[in-house]
Amino acid sequence: MFHKIKISNINHPIKDAATIRFDIPNHLYEQFNYHPGQHLIIKFNVEGKEARRSYSLNSCPHNNEALEVTIKRVKGGLVSNFANDKLKVGDELEIMIPQGRFYADINKDAYKTYFLFAAGSGITPIISILKSVLYASPNSVVNLFYGNAHQDSIIFRDKLENLKKEFPQRLEIVHTLSEPKVWTSWEQWKGKKGRIDTENVEWFINNYPPIAQSTEYYICGPGAMNTSIRKTLMDLGIPKELIHIEQFGGKKDDGNNDIKAIDNAQLKATLNGKQFDLIIPNGKTILQVLKEADSNPPFSCESGVCGTCACKLKSGKAEMKSNMALEDKDLNKGIILACQALPTSENIEIVFE
Amino acid sequence: MDTKRKMPILPVEAYISEEWFDKEQEIIFGNSWQFAGLTEDIQDPGDYITVQCGHQNIVIVKGRDQRLRAFHNLCRHRGTQLLRAVGKKQKALTCPYHDWTYDLSGQLISVPEKEEEFPDLELDKICLHKASVDIWRGMLWVHPKPDAEPITKWFEGCWEYLGPHDPTRLIEYPDTIYEKVINANWKIVAENYIDVYHLSHLHSNTLNMYDHANAKYGFVGDHYMFWEPLAKVYHDNLDKLSPTKRIKEMTDEYIGAYVPWLFPNTGLSETDSSWSVFHTIPLAPDRTKVVVRSKIEEMTDWEFYKKSAKSNMSWHGLMGGETKYGNDDPNDPMATGDFMAEDVYACEQQQKSLKNPLFSVAATALKGESTVRTFQGIVEKWMSK
Repeated sequence: MFHKIKISNINHPIKDAATIRFDIPNHLYEQFNYHPGQHLIIKFNVEGKEARRSYSLNSCPHNNEALEVTIKRVKGGLVSNFANDKLKVGDELEIMIPQGRFYADINKDAYKTYFLFAAGSGITPIISILKSVLYASPNSVVNLFYGNAHQDSIIFRDKLENLKKEFPQRLEIVHTLSEPKVWTSWEQWKGKKGRIDTENVEWFINNYPPIAQSTEYYICGPGAMNTSIRKTLMDLGIPKELIHIEQFGGKKDDGNNDIKAIDNAQLKATLNGKQFDLIIPNGKTILQVLKEADSNPPFSCESGVCGTCACKLKSGKAEMKSNMALEDKDLNKGIILACQALPTSENIEIVFE
Repeated sequence: MDTKRKMPILPVEAYISEEWFDKEQEIIFGNSWQFAGLTEDIQDPGDYITVQCGHQNIVIVKGRDQRLRAFHNLCRHRGTQLLRAVGKKQKALTCPYHDWTYDLSGQLISVPEKEEEFPDLELDKICLHKASVDIWRGMLWVHPKPDAEPITKWFEGCWEYLGPHDPTRLIEYPDTIYEKVINANWKIVAENYIDVYHLSHLHSNTLNMYDHANAKYGFVGDHYMFWEPLAKVYHDNLDKLSPTKRIKEMTDEYIGAYVPWLFPNTGLSETDSSWSVFHTIPLAPDRTKVVVRSKIEEMTDWEFYKKSAKSNMSWHGLMGGETKYGNDDPNDPMATGDFMAEDVYACEQQQKSLKNPLFSVAATALKGESTVRTFQGIVEKWMSK
């Protein structure tokens, strides 16, 4: 369900990004509670057409901050350019309550070291986690490794510097630039160069070893970087349940394409308290069938990234073409992404919880 | 039981009986966070140390991901202790008996002659028993249980009563480790450490750089916190008198000595010019090993020499140079001018009397020994768990 929410402020942390602040009305306050790392699904109306996008919240739920998302301009991007050029304070947008499985469960008594890896606008959920740890888990510490193209593309650079001053003992920040500008009007880049690749991840782990020995690893960036960081961390002996990934811009045909889907499988779905009995024609996903039946299923990215369409498989079998949203613990519970799932048994039964 | 023979809270047998000692090892030392070393003791992936926690020997090893892991140091095959003391750059942990091999996460990865001898053994189901390890205040701590409460919870509320020191920044110089086996129960040693009443008496000539009359002390949970200001003459002449460089964080606002006892068996001594950890290891009902490791600001040999020469020269005139019982017998601990020797002597002399049928504690000081009574009450609470 979407709620009309007013924009209370817009600022530009860098030239090509807009941070949009929402004024959540009192009666929705509880519903808009969230965990750091979660995202909002926003319905935009661009030139008469509806477009849905999910954006991670960069605000901190433990610090009385108003909800904020930050939208970076994408070349030719319909929504991102609209958001940067046309949105103004006072406009209303339709947004769904915060959701997503990529989040940090903050415990005030925990003693943990958080390793955070972000590239580009991947900093948005990461800075939310970072602030939440600093403000709400007073014994825990954070090591952030943050990659960007060049000096002018570092979102929240000042904000991070101020946090470092506020928490000198509990926060380490390392920037790395893949194409640093040799000269800017005000500085020469003396920091680290290169992408967040295997070599740099190992360098980072070795130079910023954990203080608290209970650790968590959060990664948010483009797919290839996420995969490579995860592999590097696992090769170092880090158990995969400690590694959490959020991906930007999932690709449709990235996953397993040789799924042997069953023709015209019977689907029984429970959604918003209603039962739907449908047939899934060959090649169609569960979500496509549900949308065509006007059952109003929850969805957003339709690429297996955001996790909005997650549902539980109660009986039968299904396989996903791609999955960037679910972790093993979800899969073990039988959770699937409707937008990616094809039936692999004659009958399947799902429920949206 | 003879109710008069109390110490004054715990019974005398708590200090002399094997049975009590074993039970203490199991209940207290098998269930608490304990000091295991300094963070720099384990530098690189594959480096390890072993530490005794009650009846259990625990190995701490650093993984390639720079995380420490702690395991009970016994092979899952037939229980052989896998590793000894300290070591460098292990790629795996191999049992000396039959070469069963575990990776650095404790997982069994190979068994010699597996096909013939253990055809049904599933290696991936066998892992070394896990323990807990963490870093707190620049020190390594272990707990024999895998699901121990966070170390910060164990020490909750303590931090604000400790000194401003950052021990990770300070330097431990070679040959500064003090090790001694004391012929006394570990609790006698602990009680001596926290006995405020004795400071002005046993150490009247050795710890006179502190103003014992204005000490502040009390318990936070099971841990004892203590702070006392510097004596005026020492404070006014600190630059001349302190034997090593003043600790950078020890600004005037914080100056004094912070000397807590972290339950069950670790003392700290955080002063204007040094930071020490006093680790008490129970060996037998009447034998305790003490290991003291100290850190100071980084100094060159020349700086060190100059500073200590200056301190020595100034000391006699400003602080007095007499020892408690004259200084004619070089073998008399009470004539050494060394407060540690004085404490060791007092502990051993007390232990000697415990089996004497006439032994009893007539009374304990209202304030200055309240700490000893509280400590014994804490031990009693643990033992009746």
